[in-house]
Amino acid sequence: MSNVTRRDFLRYGTALASATGLSGAYPEIFAQGLESVGTGRTKVAWLEAMSCTGCSVSFLNTENPGPLEVVTEVISLVYHGTVGAAQGEDCFKVLDTVTEQSQFVLVVEGAIPEKMPEACAIGERPLNTLLVPMLRKAKAVLAAGTCAAFGGVPAAEGNITGATSVQNFMKSQGIPTEGRLVNCPGCPVHPESLVGTIAYLASKGCPPLDPQLLAPKMFYSNSVHDECPRFHYWEKQEFAKQLGDPGCLFELGCLGPLSHTGCPRHQWNGGVNWCIRAGAPCIACTSQQFASLRSFPFYRKHETVVPLAART
Amino acid sequence: MSATISLSPVTRIEGHLAIHAETEPVGPDSGAHRVTSARCQGEMFRGIEQILVGRDPLDSQQIAQRICGVCPISHGMASVRAQEMAYGIKPNHNGRLLQNLIWAANYLQSHVLHFYHLAALDFVDVTALLKYEGRNRLLRDLRGWVERAFASKDILPAAPFLPRYEADYVKGLGNNLALLAHYVEALEVRRTCHEMAAVFGARVPHSTALFPGGCTQVPSMDRILEYSSRLKRIDRFIHDVFLPDLLRVAGEFPGYFEMGRGCGNFLCFGVFEMDERDNRFFMPGTLIDGQWAALDEQGISEDVGYSRFAQASGLHPRDGLTQPDPNKQQAYSWVKAPRYRGHVMEVGALARVLVNYHAPQANWVRSEVDAFLAQVKLPAEKLVSVLGRHVARGLEASWIAKQAARWLSEVEVDGPPAAEFQICQQGSGYGLVEAPRGALGHWLAIENYRIARYQCIVPTTWNCSPRDDRGQPGAVEQALQGTQVADPKQPIEVGRIVRSFDPCLACAIH
Repeated sequence: MSNVTRRDFLRYGTALASATGLSGAYPEIFAQGLESVGTGRTKVAWLEAMSCTGCSVSFLNTENPGPLEVVTEVISLVYHGTVGAAQGEDCFKVLDTVTEQSQFVLVVEGAIPEKMPEACAIGERPLNTLLVPMLRKAKAVLAAGTCAAFGGVPAAEGNITGATSVQNFMKSQGIPTEGRLVNCPGCPVHPESLVGTIAYLASKGCPPLDPQLLAPKMFYSNSVHDECPRFHYWEKQEFAKQLGDPGCLFELGCLGPLSHTGCPRHQWNGGVNWCIRAGAPCIACTSQQFASLRSFPFYRKHETVVPLAART
Repeated sequence: MSATISLSPVTRIEGHLAIHAETEPVGPDSGAHRVTSARCQGEMFRGIEQILVGRDPLDSQQIAQRICGVCPISHGMASVRAQEMAYGIKPNHNGRLLQNLIWAANYLQSHVLHFYHLAALDFVDVTALLKYEGRNRLLRDLRGWVERAFASKDILPAAPFLPRYEADYVKGLGNNLALLAHYVEALEVRRTCHEMAAVFGARVPHSTALFPGGCTQVPSMDRILEYSSRLKRIDRFIHDVFLPDLLRVAGEFPGYFEMGRGCGNFLCFGVFEMDERDNRFFMPGTLIDGQWAALDEQGISEDVGYSRFAQASGLHPRDGLTQPDPNKQQAYSWVKAPRYRGHVMEVGALARVLVNYHAPQANWVRSEVDAFLAQVKLPAEKLVSVLGRHVARGLEASWIAKQAARWLSEVEVDGPPAAEFQICQQGSGYGLVEAPRGALGHWLAIENYRIARYQCIVPTTWNCSPRDDRGQPGAVEQALQGTQVADPKQPIEVGRIVRSFDPCLACAIH
């Protein structure tokens, strides 16, 4: 799916086939995670790389279980820079202890500044240097959000830091990813996909992954288009022309066919709304090429004013 | 003997920040030290402005939101306002109200998150749980969790609430237990605020519904009820829990009305359009040496003498550049140093409150603040402090919740949610707004239907700036000067002062 242009996309928009179906495993995961209560919960260290903290905030939006239940009953969140009490030098004592003495899951939020290592540090330790031993020692690595999974906005065309994904960084450092790296894309990551994957990793190990996305099949198999509540408009070729119109959002720029995610089922923020329901075109924030190309804008408004020849 | 105190990294803020402070001993027999000078080091750079150049201008309200996952709506709105100016449009009636409602919900989320989940662990004693003997099920469960963690000889027990600095926490058991219970309740409250933002904003963080001219969500009656029902719960929490908790902490730490005063100059761009004529709920203005003055957009410039950038200092953001020089001599931060007519300025809820309080015309902010100060018997000048910043956020939350109910009542049910617009071939504009953390500006230029230039000056760019080319320390750096630190190895006082500004480093550097 990489390097699709808007024109390619429009050409084969109708032909996109749906991927494999969703496994029904979701509710069982929490039961499994909760069973490990009192038997030594899996330690999770969460590091913020080149991130906006949106995925951490999205994690706090988890509803059932809530964030407190996750950290007291599902896992042991030994380090999180935004919510943890530890500060200053104590942070490194925690990170060193968990890296040396324990089995742990490493969550990385944000992209990695591969070509400009000065662009990200935690307590003046360059992120890349801090990450390498942790990526090697972790029993699993969870790339939370599209920046960590695929590079996302920090790695978009025109970036000057050489930002890249956790997967690319691990490969360049010769660190094995097979069966260890799980991507949970989304900008931000959806709390249910994230917490479901964490609970799966904590209790059962690596979930079955989509071979292209390295994302859990149970959350990332179907596209927004496959399960879109406006699909009937698409079939009748009834398109919204202006913001707020009923109809399929395709002509406003909707990228639902490119975005593999559980959004149509989970919706967002406790199920109160989500992009398509609100009349907002899907921007494919879970896709490998989210935001990556200048020549592939999110919306199609420019097509009403910009001559075709002037579009680059 | 002088010594360096380090808080590196500063956690429980957004993003990547390190603080170093030069200190001298307070006296010959005291272990305490006093800060003589401090340095704020911003540690993470992404170059979002360059990523925006060459793109469709409509991409900017999406990409700009990724500057910050805590206050994405404010960045989305700064981009939307800059585009609206370039396209020559204004939001329609519903568009203005719905944008305000999405934004207000994000403010409420941010202020609750900041006090309870970022700042409170500097004050609350988590170990007080072990002394709990009552019958509240939540507190008993949490006590059991802490006890089991210690009994299990876990290498990192009760994470992420330990380890912590051993310091002067809240002493009263009742206050500690109340604050701990409210920490838990506030997790739900801030999530509910996000649900409100999603009612009209599709989802948060990173709303997909925001557009120039309004938003995409038609305000049907069920949407309005989804918002108003939640707003009532949030309003009750602010009055019954949040404001009393602020006074609880203030009662235990009165010294923090004296600490972290800072530069004493305040800048506010104004926020929440009240009508088509750009009257705002919080009006723009500046307060320099106690004197109120109208805002002059031309007075803003950025220095980079101590920042890791190669371009010239003193540029207005309309002409601003972002040319990284990671190993620049003398530079110690990725944050630029914005100045207003050469002055160091503090921004944030306190700046909004004080700039409006001192505005020449009598206004509702002044009467609300005077009523509050009379109620708690506090002189106005004490607001310029660590606790004053917390109190300003709490008061502001109560006002915004009240005003959001009014905006909701003005919405035209099922009416169009956005004005129409066209992208322009050439144009420029700026969005001067307020994020929860303070004055936020985006400057945009469009050429041949593409973004030719994009520059942002963000609240924490002001607050956590390094020294400027004249050597003036930034607002947080100044607020740390003179601070007495009881234990230089556990400088909790430094953390309390820095967090009172609610820093966001991903924002500041972007």
